[in-house]
Amino acid sequence: MKDFVNLIADPKYSFTLVIIGFFIFMKYYYVVGTKKFLYWSTAITLVVFGWMCTDPNFFAIITWPDNVPIVILLALVFYLTWFAIYQATENDKRLDEGLPPNEGTPENKEKVWVWPNLVYTELMAMIVFTALLIIWSIFLKAPLEEPANPTWAPNPAKAPWYFLGLQEMLVYFDPWMAGVVLPVLIIVGLIAIPFIDTNPEGNGFYSFKRRKFAMAGFLFGWLVLWVYLIIIGTFLRGPNWTFYGPFEYWDHHKVVAESNVNLSEFFWIKGLGTAMPGSIIIREIVGIIVVSAYFGLTTFIFNKTEMGRNLFRSLGKARYYILIGLILFMGLLPVKMYLRWLFDLKYLIAMPEFEFNL
Amino acid sequence: MKHEPGMAYKSSTLHKVFAFLSILLLFCTLGMFLDDYIRPWKGWQIKALAVKEEKLKKDIEEKLGTIDKEKLAQVEAQIVEGTKIAAERETEINVIAGKLNEVKAKIHAKKLELSVYNGQVSELTFNWEMAVEKKKPGTDKMKAKLDKNRALYAKTNNEIKSLEGEAKVLRNEIEDKKKILIQGEKAKKRMIGQVELMKQALAKTNTTNPVWIIRNLPFLDFLDPTVKVEQVVLDNYVDDRYFQKVPKVDRCQTCHVFIDKPGYEDQEQPFKTHSNLALMVSRDSPHPKAQFGCTSCHGGEGHRINDFTSIAHTPQNQEQAKEWAAKYNWHEPHKIPQPMLPLQHTEASCYKCHSGVEVIPAADDYNKGKQLVTDYGCYACHVMPGMQEKKKAGPSLKRLAAKLDKNWVKNWIWDPFGFNPHSRMPSFFQQSNNSKPEFMKKNIAEVNAMGEFLFDKNDDSYRVEYRYAGGDTENGKELISSVGCIACHQVEGIESSIKVGSMKGPYLTGTGSKVDKNWLVQWLKKPNHYQADTIMPSFRLTDKEANDMAAYLMSLKNETFEAKRFTNLDKDLRDEILLEYFVAFDTIAAAKKKLERMSDYERTMELGKRSIGKYGCYSCHSIEGFKDDRAPIGPNLAKEGSKPVHQFGFGHEKDVPHTRHDWIEAHLGNPRRWDRGTDKPFKDLTRMPQFYLKDDEIQAMTTYVLGFVDEKIPERGMHKLSPEEKIAEKGFKAIAKYNCAGCHKIDGYGGDILAAYEDDNNEGPPWLVNEGHRIQADWLHHFLQNVHPLRPWLAVRMPSFHYDNNEEINEIVEYFRNKSGELAFDPPPIRVEWEPGERKAALALFEDYACATCHTTGFNNDEAAAPNLYFAKRRLRSSWIKKWLAGPAEILPYTVMPNFWEDGEAQNQDILGGDSDKQIEALTKYLMEIGYSEFHGKMNKSARNR
Repeated sequence: MKDFVNLIADPKYSFTLVIIGFFIFMKYYYVVGTKKFLYWSTAITLVVFGWMCTDPNFFAIITWPDNVPIVILLALVFYLTWFAIYQATENDKRLDEGLPPNEGTPENKEKVWVWPNLVYTELMAMIVFTALLIIWSIFLKAPLEEPANPTWAPNPAKAPWYFLGLQEMLVYFDPWMAGVVLPVLIIVGLIAIPFIDTNPEGNGFYSFKRRKFAMAGFLFGWLVLWVYLIIIGTFLRGPNWTFYGPFEYWDHHKVVAESNVNLSEFFWIKGLGTAMPGSIIIREIVGIIVVSAYFGLTTFIFNKTEMGRNLFRSLGKARYYILIGLILFMGLLPVKMYLRWLFDLKYLIAMPEFEFNL
Repeated sequence: MKHEPGMAYKSSTLHKVFAFLSILLLFCTLGMFLDDYIRPWKGWQIKALAVKEEKLKKDIEEKLGTIDKEKLAQVEAQIVEGTKIAAERETEINVIAGKLNEVKAKIHAKKLELSVYNGQVSELTFNWEMAVEKKKPGTDKMKAKLDKNRALYAKTNNEIKSLEGEAKVLRNEIEDKKKILIQGEKAKKRMIGQVELMKQALAKTNTTNPVWIIRNLPFLDFLDPTVKVEQVVLDNYVDDRYFQKVPKVDRCQTCHVFIDKPGYEDQEQPFKTHSNLALMVSRDSPHPKAQFGCTSCHGGEGHRINDFTSIAHTPQNQEQAKEWAAKYNWHEPHKIPQPMLPLQHTEASCYKCHSGVEVIPAADDYNKGKQLVTDYGCYACHVMPGMQEKKKAGPSLKRLAAKLDKNWVKNWIWDPFGFNPHSRMPSFFQQSNNSKPEFMKKNIAEVNAMGEFLFDKNDDSYRVEYRYAGGDTENGKELISSVGCIACHQVEGIESSIKVGSMKGPYLTGTGSKVDKNWLVQWLKKPNHYQADTIMPSFRLTDKEANDMAAYLMSLKNETFEAKRFTNLDKDLRDEILLEYFVAFDTIAAAKKKLERMSDYERTMELGKRSIGKYGCYSCHSIEGFKDDRAPIGPNLAKEGSKPVHQFGFGHEKDVPHTRHDWIEAHLGNPRRWDRGTDKPFKDLTRMPQFYLKDDEIQAMTTYVLGFVDEKIPERGMHKLSPEEKIAEKGFKAIAKYNCAGCHKIDGYGGDILAAYEDDNNEGPPWLVNEGHRIQADWLHHFLQNVHPLRPWLAVRMPSFHYDNNEEINEIVEYFRNKSGELAFDPPPIRVEWEPGERKAALALFEDYACATCHTTGFNNDEAAAPNLYFAKRRLRSSWIKKWLAGPAEILPYTVMPNFWEDGEAQNQDILGGDSDKQIEALTKYLMEIGYSEFHGKMNKSARNR
């Protein structure tokens, strides 16, 4: 059983499982958004987690002082996601029945004083957090290490937990892409959301049914492409950034055979059996076509669909193309991951001469 | 539920929650203080107080036990009586005391006056000097005022002195009246003063004392705590923190409270006294704590005191590791470059400051390790600092055909321990990583090729000069056990040689099955004929003696080994191995072609040469075809003591703890173990050979190797040798090379062979005590090249070494001279100047003390039991002769030379008035007069006249 979990935890398989799970979640969100689901899923999770904790390797990873807060954060992500879906489900039911959403009931619309209702409770929250931090720091000592030694780098060398998703992206992308372009696009995209999303439904209240595209799109990026990658980067990447199953011992000597090939090499060397052309553009022409097609052709086909036409109409030209562009960039990550796992593809376009690899 | 308007919650509930949270925060904050306050080291310090208390109580009791109770009672009675007398005279005393107080008041008043004048004089002086300098008017007036004040100052000062005189008289009067009481009190203080001091110390160990508690309360303890961190900051030693070097700070004494205090030797750690206070830690030792700290020798993170593990304490063994884990929650520290050395390896640290010397005094384990590394020749394959100048560890193989037989050589290479269980030639084959049949077959081919290669390269022009003519085995055995062979060699059957246990030369058992008999005679007679740079010396043997010894040695057979016939060369395997070599740089086709072009002979030679290169035989042996400066085969160990643990390959050996010393120990135990569980091809197998070391040898050698650390010790922290010591050190290298200390106990060092003369050291090689003072430097230089018997009663012989050059002889001479701090030339007076009647007295003393009874040579025909006195003039320094005569046993405890001047009192009180110094002087002059004026042989004129 543990071996099986170790096997399917590998992103090669677990990524697909997570995507499937995500779509089931989206389809049956109203099942998730019930208290019953919360109780059952919590009970099952606790049992499974308890079983997992009996394994010394797993236990060592999750109780590593660096990782404890991440475990707590994951529990919070789980709960808060459920809570949002729960609220949305409740509201969707009410709206279907013609009632106003929960947030719109008269008693919830009543106004109260900032002092003491808000300020006082904020003060209490601060006290609770201060007390919590003190207790935490007393019982779980800060994981301070030896003075930095330039000749003895830590292995694995890990970024802070909130960057571990980005670090995981480094496996599939050139550092320039994973470290600069994509993070910038994430920030730009998040800033752009209020300007792109013109749907008035759901303003001031939770709803799923009335803003499916927005909810699903955001949750996919957040849960699958960000939180999932953080989990992988934190718990399942060991020395040399090699994949280790949750029950696997982090043996520094573990070796994984990986030999990646560029698309241009696939085409010229393996496909045509000729030498690589000297001109960089000709050499990478296949990659350039494929990437252009990914952006161009997908947009073209999407424009023809009903959903595309509706969106185009409601958003207008500029918003529509920016949205499509952002989503396609987001899609690059899973696409590239699958290409890597299926074909050992290194880069679609490899131009190390210009530090441009995609 | 409906709340008041504008409120989402009930106010009173909010207040209650707030109150609860505030109290929670308060407790958390207190908890934080407490967590900060409670430190493990404080616990140890408080425990230490209890330990100290117990000890003080015991000491006080002991001290009280030694005090004479009767005398104390007497003294106390005296005090009672004195008090009574003082009470009777109270009124008188009070009157004087009143007067004394008046005088004291006057002195006080005058002193105040004086300070005013003093200030004024200074001010006026300054003003006047400035006025004079700037040529201002009115300087005369100022000068007058200044002089007046000066006079006043002097007057007042004088008055004070006279008042003080008065006061003294009055004080004496009072004391006189209370004399008995004061004397009694003084006597009591003398008797129990120390106990009082101890009681005061005892009071400080009381932890229930309110002052103690207040001083150590949380938060208040920043003022003046008694429980506090004890540290030393070193200004001559730095810790490398990678980006900067910081002065070393050691806080070990915070828990090891009594490390520098004698009397706690029997306590459990951390309260034990240092085991060697005379050498370490204590203020008057050569390594005081304030200058050397703790971790400069012990290693570890001395600045940390937060818990047991963070300091990087290292257990001595697995048992202790387990014990510590249970007791202190100890676990292996991570990423600490220099964790504490386990106790048994602490001496490794001596090297970093004392690297310039051959032998580090008192570092016995370290020295043992170094000796073993020298004996086993580790330095031949591994670069080790301080070992570069040593000669090759094994014999030259350039003329081996004259000595050995080819079949024997192959069998020997294959399995040296099969021939000689004490072999220093290590075992390369039949080891844990190459015992698979296919590897064994290939190894056999390699050994065959090596044997063929060595004999092919043999210098056939070499011929031995001597022929074995047969001899007396019994006499040979006797000679071997007596002339001095056993200082370097062991042989079964000669008990004393095993007792001496030297590893310097080969183990001789089985020699008869090994060497050619003619070669053996040649070797015994003249070792450097066969190998010019051998350290085997000549014992100036006669032909008969050499033949007798050879007869004995040839009788020592190892028949099973002799009967072995080495398997013939498998030519197919030979070609296969050669191909493996060739394909490393060639295609398979080209390699095959290259092989085909070679003749059968060439192929064997090629494999032989490559195998010798592969196993590094050339590192220890001189072999034709290999340059002497070819790089040694093993890794450089110059920084082994600082090599990061993660750079050691532990392979699949899970039972070896991941520490530097454990790896080295495991490696020395079986160097091939790291190949276990791997699938290496033949050419990549680990080649470090197996020496079959004993556990204590492994431990000592590990200590030695761990000493090679990559640390820059600041100049002022290093031990610097004086110019004399430097010269002596150079000489000591030569002394170590020729194993002088194998026979001679040089100032307490060495003298291995004396184990065979336990009953009477006088029958063995002489001790060399302060030898530089005893002998004249030029005599020693001559003697080392022209050895002649000095002590006719000895069977053991001083050998004639074949020194590499005159420089080496000079170095040996200079070693003794510089160690004793003597001048190079201390010429005896050419003409002895006699005082009137002194010569006659000397002759009379010579007769009376019967010197010629033992020192017979030249005086009578009896057998000599003491050295020839005619040699003394050119051999001994006259100052040494005097010292020797005054107390021979102080120089050589075993000597049979009697002392005629016991405790400075002459045995004969009639001659020279019984003055010891004069008698000794006269005899010394006599020796100087009669002695040979050449180093040996020619007689002095006056002696001839006698």
